[in-house]
Amino acid sequence: MALTLLLLVPLVTGAWLVAGGRHISERTATLANLGAALITLGLAIAVAVARPTVDRDWLPALGSRWHFGVDGISAPLVLLTAAVGLLVAVHGIRHTPEGGAPSTFHGCLLLVEGGALATFAAADAILFFVAFEVVLVPMWVLITRFGDPHDAARRATAGARFVLYTATGSTLMLLGILLLVLRAGTADLTALPAAAAHLPHGTLVLVAALLTAGLAVKVPLFPVHSWLPPAHTTAPTAGSVLLAAVLLKMGTYGLVRLPLATVPEGWATVRPVIAVLGVIGILWGGLVCLVERDLKRLIAYSSVAHMGFVALGLASGTRTGLQAALFVNIAHGVISALLFVVVGGLKERWGSVDLSRVRTALREVAPRFGFVLVVGLAASLGLPGLAGFWGEFLAVYAAWTAPAHVGLFRWCAVLAAIGTALAAAYALRVARLVWVGDRPTDAQRQASTGVEADRSEQVVTLVLVTAAVVLGVVPQVLLTVTDPAVRAVMGR
Amino acid sequence: MSGTLVSVDALALLPALAPAAGAVLVLVVDALAPRAGLLARLLGFAGLVAGLVGVVLPLTSGTRIAQSLCTPAPEGRCFYDTGTAGLLLQVGALVAGIVVLLLLRDHDTEDSPTPFGLSGDPRKPTDTELATMSSSGLSGDPINQRGPGQRGGVGVTTALVLTTVAGATTVAAAVDLGTWLVALELATLPGIALVALRGTERAAHGAMSLLTTALLSAAVTVVGAALWLVATHDVTFSPVAAAAAWANTPTRPALILAVVLLLAGLGFKLSAVPFHQWTPQAYAGSSVSVAALLATVSKIAAVAGLIAVLRAVVGLAGPSGHPHQLALVVAVLAVVTMTLGNVVALRQDDVVRLLAWSTIAQAGWVLLPLAALSDAGLRSAATYVVAYAVASLVAFAVVPFVGTQLAAYGGLLRRHPLLGGVLVLGLVSLAGLPPGILGLVAKVVALRAVMDGGLWPLALVAVANAVLGIAVYLRWVAVLFGDPAPDADPLVSRRGGRVGLALAAMLLIVTSVVPQLVLGLLA
Repeated sequence: MALTLLLLVPLVTGAWLVAGGRHISERTATLANLGAALITLGLAIAVAVARPTVDRDWLPALGSRWHFGVDGISAPLVLLTAAVGLLVAVHGIRHTPEGGAPSTFHGCLLLVEGGALATFAAADAILFFVAFEVVLVPMWVLITRFGDPHDAARRATAGARFVLYTATGSTLMLLGILLLVLRAGTADLTALPAAAAHLPHGTLVLVAALLTAGLAVKVPLFPVHSWLPPAHTTAPTAGSVLLAAVLLKMGTYGLVRLPLATVPEGWATVRPVIAVLGVIGILWGGLVCLVERDLKRLIAYSSVAHMGFVALGLASGTRTGLQAALFVNIAHGVISALLFVVVGGLKERWGSVDLSRVRTALREVAPRFGFVLVVGLAASLGLPGLAGFWGEFLAVYAAWTAPAHVGLFRWCAVLAAIGTALAAAYALRVARLVWVGDRPTDAQRQASTGVEADRSEQVVTLVLVTAAVVLGVVPQVLLTVTDPAVRAVMGR
Repeated sequence: MSGTLVSVDALALLPALAPAAGAVLVLVVDALAPRAGLLARLLGFAGLVAGLVGVVLPLTSGTRIAQSLCTPAPEGRCFYDTGTAGLLLQVGALVAGIVVLLLLRDHDTEDSPTPFGLSGDPRKPTDTELATMSSSGLSGDPINQRGPGQRGGVGVTTALVLTTVAGATTVAAAVDLGTWLVALELATLPGIALVALRGTERAAHGAMSLLTTALLSAAVTVVGAALWLVATHDVTFSPVAAAAAWANTPTRPALILAVVLLLAGLGFKLSAVPFHQWTPQAYAGSSVSVAALLATVSKIAAVAGLIAVLRAVVGLAGPSGHPHQLALVVAVLAVVTMTLGNVVALRQDDVVRLLAWSTIAQAGWVLLPLAALSDAGLRSAATYVVAYAVASLVAFAVVPFVGTQLAAYGGLLRRHPLLGGVLVLGLVSLAGLPPGILGLVAKVVALRAVMDGGLWPLALVAVANAVLGIAVYLRWVAVLFGDPAPDADPLVSRRGGRVGLALAAMLLIVTSVVPQLVLGLLA
């Protein structure tokens, strides 16, 4: 019951808000979003603790069942999604962008949240695909209608690129799912690993390749990442937060749930490629961040780098690697949400976040924003004691200790370690340009009032900073939750 | 010989007979009392609903295959056999017929007193001609631009729609060549009349191209049927006879040629490339409701015809070799059709033409699973065409309210959230994205058959086309979400259209929530 409600509350409220359009006032829409997100978070906690399942007939012709459930791998992501959903709802109290009816905006946020929750909770491969697609249209609306108000044409291209890239990926993934389900004879994600074990090697490799290629777009891995920067740059703050903290996780979660768990033998063949692509992503993202001028785009490229660590961890084929990947997933969700709230807020106030423009130092004009930005950057560069450290450290360690392809993986580990140095370099670059800045004259100080975080941003960033510190100081909170599930997946 | 020669299950025949009987009754009423439009219309609905009853009643007892006109055992066979997918196609055709009849209500405002509406003053500038002018940008009467009339009176229009439906439901169960050929033409020819009865020059052009292709395709089909007879020595689409002809080296080429010709003939009706040329012309020339009929009932009839032929061929793969040639022909048709349809649809600024090209693209998707030459493929094609019909009915039903120019849809979601919302649902369903779950499931079903058949290159082309299709429909959706054009025409209120739209929207919503309602009709 709680599980059904967990999916229904955001989806139904979201659908109602979108359908209501301008007949629903901004106040009602904001409150509805807040209420629904709050209830959803409560339900998510209940579901993560009680772990109920729902299993009903759905499409017998496709061998697909209405089957939802959570385990140690999905529970943290369900919680993250629900929490981020509530945070963007709180953020939306003060920041409902122009571009359409406010209720459409809030409705789309809830629909994205609901779709992501359904994806993480799906225990049936076909159902997983359907849930995976749910987020596309609402996210597209968020980007094309509510994105950067300065440039309509760019919004349209960014939105179209987002939809077309990810739809290509998900349709490829669908081919993999269909092949797997047809040959294994079941779509149940819990039964698939055993059912697929007897398939011929060629089929397993093919399935793994299709699934990985499809999901790589969503993660995103190196050559197919180019939809992400424009989408992030143009999306409204709440959209960027959801995109980075929730949508990208659907890709990495899919990698764990589908190729890694169901066709480990095929995954073993694909792994080295993924490791190399992940490392290229780490280095490429880091290098771009050293020269990128648009701060929002810079954070987007840093996401590509962080997702490279997830890929490296997954590809290592070790239990530590999987743990690391799941940890980076959550940590990056928290950190990127934090950074996008800050940078989005700055962009709203400054009109652009071009780093080449000389501005007054953030520490002077907006100390709260400045502090949060510095914490976010520190966490992002992997400073020990903050959330970013453990996952990336473990991912590099896992790559170093990979059981197969030792030479290749050691090279990957070395290069990924260099990538963390790049992360430090670009984080410090941003801190120097934006936070340190120049001491402002009195006139400048006068001119740049109103930059400081408002109440809703303060609440949101406070929660996220706390989460980043907690995950950094006591990583066991998360690792103990994921550990049993990781053992179950890797135990065979 | 004891007992009857042929056993008749009348209930099973109802889906085919009721619409036909309804059409005759409507014509009789129209002849006796030309002004009793309401009665004629009610009779029309009654015919279609009776047909639906004929499908639904056997369903409640768990049967998924309706058979009738069976010769006695031991070598008994049935000459009316819906096979695994026939019931679904029949339901689709009947329901689409009901929606189209409702949509047509708005065109009855200018009934001419004479039965065929041809003896009125031919040069009187009717609304319809103004509509032609305005839609080509010459004059701007918004109402006429959207609501071009339909001549011929309620009786004739209704009878023609019913005949089309009767043709479609009969093809879905036809086993012998004769019935198959007649029923197929029955589903095609009334459409030509309906296009022509709009009475404008563009309609005449559309009807003319439709007529030419229909004649040509009929000729090709008949030659194909004759070759089938030559190859198999059987007047039915019998798997046994086909297998025998396949196993026999001299008759094998004849069989292949027969199927290829039948495919070509049906390709015209399905608007598969390179037989698609008539589609945009006919859709743009006819009234929107008639275009909806062509896009739904006629397409369902074409798919039913295809399935009847391929049902006999799917069993051929076996010891004497897989019919690669046929699979290749279907695959190439599918690829070319969906690609060209999507690419051209991407550039259309007239929504009816956009829908016409999207029909062509979707025809490719219908052909896609058929290339697997498997029973699952046949069922997938049936599922796909019905899902397409439901979604496109919604899109067609919205057009009369707003207009045919894409720009006129600017900000529709703001101007009329309900209308805009329904259209968004229809379009995303055509694109195969949630919340249009029905379209998404149809896409999954189609790709599943392809994967099951191991047709790799085809699956990859389908992925590319799925994305292209999304681009086509989201382009329209983006306009709906956009800002209203400053000189936007007011929306037109249409009574009949409203009921038809409501029914179509309800169908789409219900089947999206419970897609099993569609899939469950398959055997």
